Amino acid sequence: MKMEDMPLSGPDNTRLEALVHDIYSELVDDACLGLCFEVHRAVKQGYFFLDETDQESMKEFEIVDQPGVDIFGQVYNQWKNKECECPNCKRLIAASRFAPHLEKCLGMGRNSSRIANRRLASNNNMSKSESDQEDNDDLNDNDWSYGAEKKAKKRKSDKSQNSPRRSKSIKHKNGDLGSGVSTEPYKYNYNTGISYETLGPDEVRSLLTTQCGVISEHTKKMCTRSPRCPQHSDEQRRAVRVFLLGPSAPSLPDPDAVVESESFDIPDGQTLMSRLQWEDSPDISPTDSASSKASTNHSDSKRPKKKKRTSLGLNRGLGGGVSLTGGGGGGSSSSSQSNISLSIKKKRPKLSAPSISSIYDDLN
Amino acid sequence: MSKESRMRATVNQKLAEMGERERLKELLRAKLTECGWKDQMKAHCKEVIKEKGLEHVTVEDLVVEITPKGRALVPDSVKKELLHRIRAFLAQHAT
Repeated sequence: MKMEDMPLSGPDNTRLEALVHDIYSELVDDACLGLCFEVHRAVKQGYFFLDETDQESMKEFEIVDQPGVDIFGQVYNQWKNKECECPNCKRLIAASRFAPHLEKCLGMGRNSSRIANRRLASNNNMSKSESDQEDNDDLNDNDWSYGAEKKAKKRKSDKSQNSPRRSKSIKHKNGDLGSGVSTEPYKYNYNTGISYETLGPDEVRSLLTTQCGVISEHTKKMCTRSPRCPQHSDEQRRAVRVFLLGPSAPSLPDPDAVVESESFDIPDGQTLMSRLQWEDSPDISPTDSASSKASTNHSDSKRPKKKKRTSLGLNRGLGGGVSLTGGGGGGSSSSSQSNISLSIKKKRPKLSAPSISSIYDDLN
Repeated sequence: MSKESRMRATVNQKLAEMGERERLKELLRAKLTECGWKDQMKAHCKEVIKEKGLEHVTVEDLVVEITPKGRALVPDSVKKELLHRIRAFLAQHAT
């Protein structure tokens, strides 16, 4: 408030203050008087004591002033820990999550159809495994019940493994591999490694050209890191290659070769396995049949993401690049090459050519 | 002294003319209700009435009982604010 120059001097100031206080007292007296009139009228008109009842009721509805309780005496979190049984799926759901869960469980809410459609679409794209409607509801619900939490956690890890995002994050993990696609064929395995038992020799070979491949003792899985990964020595890598591909195993691939594998579907690999005869030194003819089957399998299999190149396209590209071994093994080696070609990037055929030639020199 | 009383009269007149008095009254009432003063005083009234008997209570009885207590129970914050406003008014409109 702006204070203008007081027109009165010192002693007058006290008079002014007194005046101020007098005015204030008048105002307060007015208020008190007003209250008295109000009360007196209420008494005389008989409505002053209307809000009072008998002592018992008064005690019952008295204002409560305790900690942890509201003024009516109700506990705040009382129903938080209660669980209700869902009439649809017969599970125990926490009370505060019950309504959203019912919405999804019965398929009647605003979002439930959207979520269901989305899930169906993604499931069609990916695995053949059936998605149980209810179980996926659990994922979305973040339900509180203990059992559901365990289930949800486990399924969640499964679900997130299949999502498209995951391959991007794995991309960084695999170091100097060309792209995240290399991990796609292994998406059903845990991202720490691959189980060599489920793969055919061609797949193993292609894997070993791109990855370290050393089999861990604890998990029996192949290391998916780069062939120069510091965790394993070259000796170990060599031993693995001998173990998996036979005594005439190829030398370790040139580290500069940038390789890329097509997206293998594991079910296809398994069918491959059943058709293959697994021997220590693979003969040419089974390799031939395997390679032809592999190529047809590739064209048949679904490609969910990115790479639309067929195996045929790669063959052609590589056939042009690798002319060194063209004269070598003749028809058989070229068809074997076609298998390997699937795993080798189009852009750098020259660098990988020497390694391929060494592989097939041994075999031939 | 009559100068002073004249001055007071002038001030009061000004207060009333400009509507400031009404405004201050309303402000005080609102603040007292807000802070619970009114409920406190009503409870006190109830006691007085129960004491005196419902039929025979008069305004005077109430006034005598209520006013001193009422003056004492006004909270300091309310009092300060009101004094401040009165002073501001006087500073603005003093002769």
